[in-house]
Amino acid sequence: MIRIKQLTARQGNFLLGPIDLDLEPGGYLTILGPSGAGKTVLLEICLGLVAPVSGEVWLEGVEVTRLPPEQRQIAYLPQDLTLFPHLSVSDNILFGARQQRLDPDVIQSRLQELIDLLALDDILGRPAVGTLSGGEKQRVALARALLPGPRLLFLDEPFSALDAAIKRQLQVKLRQINREMGVSLLHVTHDQEEALLLGERIAVLIGGRLRQVGSRDDIYYRPASLDVARVLRNQNIYERQVEQVYANGSFKLAGDLPLITSGCPGAGPGDRVAVGIRSEEVTIIRPGRPIGPDLQENLFEAKVIDILGFGGTHTLTVAVTDSEIQLDVELPNCAFRDLGYAIGDRLQIALRRRSLWALPLDSSTREVDNAQL
Amino acid sequence: MTSVVRDLPFRLALIVPLVVLTGYFLLLLGSQYAFFSAAAFLNQLALPEIQAAIVLSLGSATVSALLAVSIAVPSAYLLARWEFPGKRLLDTFLDLPVVLTPIALGTLILMAWNTPAGRLLEGVGLTLPFTVAGVVTAQFTVVAAVALRMLKATFEQIDPRYERVARTLGCTAAGSFRRVTLPLAARGILAAFILTWARAIGEFGATVMVAGTARGETATLPSSIYLAMSVADLPHAVTLIILLLLVALAVLFAVRFALGRRS
Repeated sequence: MIRIKQLTARQGNFLLGPIDLDLEPGGYLTILGPSGAGKTVLLEICLGLVAPVSGEVWLEGVEVTRLPPEQRQIAYLPQDLTLFPHLSVSDNILFGARQQRLDPDVIQSRLQELIDLLALDDILGRPAVGTLSGGEKQRVALARALLPGPRLLFLDEPFSALDAAIKRQLQVKLRQINREMGVSLLHVTHDQEEALLLGERIAVLIGGRLRQVGSRDDIYYRPASLDVARVLRNQNIYERQVEQVYANGSFKLAGDLPLITSGCPGAGPGDRVAVGIRSEEVTIIRPGRPIGPDLQENLFEAKVIDILGFGGTHTLTVAVTDSEIQLDVELPNCAFRDLGYAIGDRLQIALRRRSLWALPLDSSTREVDNAQL
Repeated sequence: MTSVVRDLPFRLALIVPLVVLTGYFLLLLGSQYAFFSAAAFLNQLALPEIQAAIVLSLGSATVSALLAVSIAVPSAYLLARWEFPGKRLLDTFLDLPVVLTPIALGTLILMAWNTPAGRLLEGVGLTLPFTVAGVVTAQFTVVAAVALRMLKATFEQIDPRYERVARTLGCTAAGSFRRVTLPLAARGILAAFILTWARAIGEFGATVMVAGTARGETATLPSSIYLAMSVADLPHAVTLIILLLLVALAVLFAVRFALGRRS
């Protein structure tokens, strides 16, 4: 659908790329990155709004790097200020379709489809867009972008200003648009939850460089670099030395938290690695319950030193006995209530080998080349 | 101590200057009363040279304001949107007519018409001394920079993302300017035209330098006031001043309306 080859750009002191990225027809790719990572610039280059320094953009097998935006036929939903304030709601929606001189019958049929999909009935007749709520504005902007019948839709942090309930409704709509209308979506966001919820594939962009591209599980459980792990809010990251490499490739790590991990390519005895585990992957061993075979190793005594509540979950900060190591352990509310922990309580935790990830420390800035999506 | 009493000095510091300024303006306007009679005003309006001055002022201000806004719209848009080396220098240079005294500007126009380029323009019929073209040229020179400044501010207030979205919806660069930017800037353009027109109709220094004050030919309302006062013809001067006052009031209300509707 779209292929980005060795794309670089410069804006002041900021350098983007080189970026290599593909999105297949009908795919949904999210680009996750913190503010200032270059997400918007990347989209704007693909849209033809910003010229790259080097590299190529291909759309459906045709190179479009030098084509103006109006000839690329990529729909675009920017973060805010999307609607033209001098036009009515219906004129906003019809803007692109009229500009592209589409057949009135085609416009009418697509418009009806979008009215049904995005529940636009009540707001279509409004004379001014200034009276719309944030969610209504984004629905109108989405309809305007989709009415010309694009095969590719770019979204730039489209829901960042919306409240959680409306955001979720629109996220569901986007999945429908992707599945039912066959529109390929390239969606940039700084919101980890949104990126993981919507993207079939996720690309992590940090500091203008693509750090990892992969499936939800790849990105979430197997970060390719420390930067990615941090962007994905991995709380429990430690630096350790490889003490021993077993015949099956797993490692024993030295130090006051003697972990057994699945190992990582390129690291051998004596090398320093970063090892981590997501807070929801830490297992609390219930007293008196039998311990399964995968929980027999990496078993530690610990003490609860802090408890934070987050609506649906609680995070326990525990200090591992006889070490300076602290871990965050995330529990759903029901489990937290069942266990009834308080600050100062002692407990046993297990770090499953399959839940631990390890990275050679010199790979923390490793990039992903020629990522295929 | 109540907050009203405590804030009294500050409130007075705000109110007194406003009262003084308003009083001063009322004094200026009221001073016309002693010299004004409706009959004399109507008699003066019937004089051919006053009618000629009115027609010339309205016509030349309209033409020069239209010219200024026509040139300022694309120029201001370019300055608001594009980045290029020397932009700040160019921006400052284009402000020069705003800070130069109109007399000096008029002199510069006359001197420019004595250069080969100026003689070339004269050769194709654009003669300035003692002509209506001279009046329009002088007014245009004074007001073009004012129009440019106002319109640049107007375009800078319009978020360029609207144009970017329009491009992705199928508009060319010119199309997005025409269908999105110009409608969004319409009130600002109207306000710029009205103020530019008002500035042009009141222009005196450059106009007198370039086109002179030939009664019934190149004498505008301001230069006619000067002529009347130079021979102590107060009824004539008062009539012209009242005409200019009426024009000024109409312009101020029109601008308020244009900008008020925009906000």
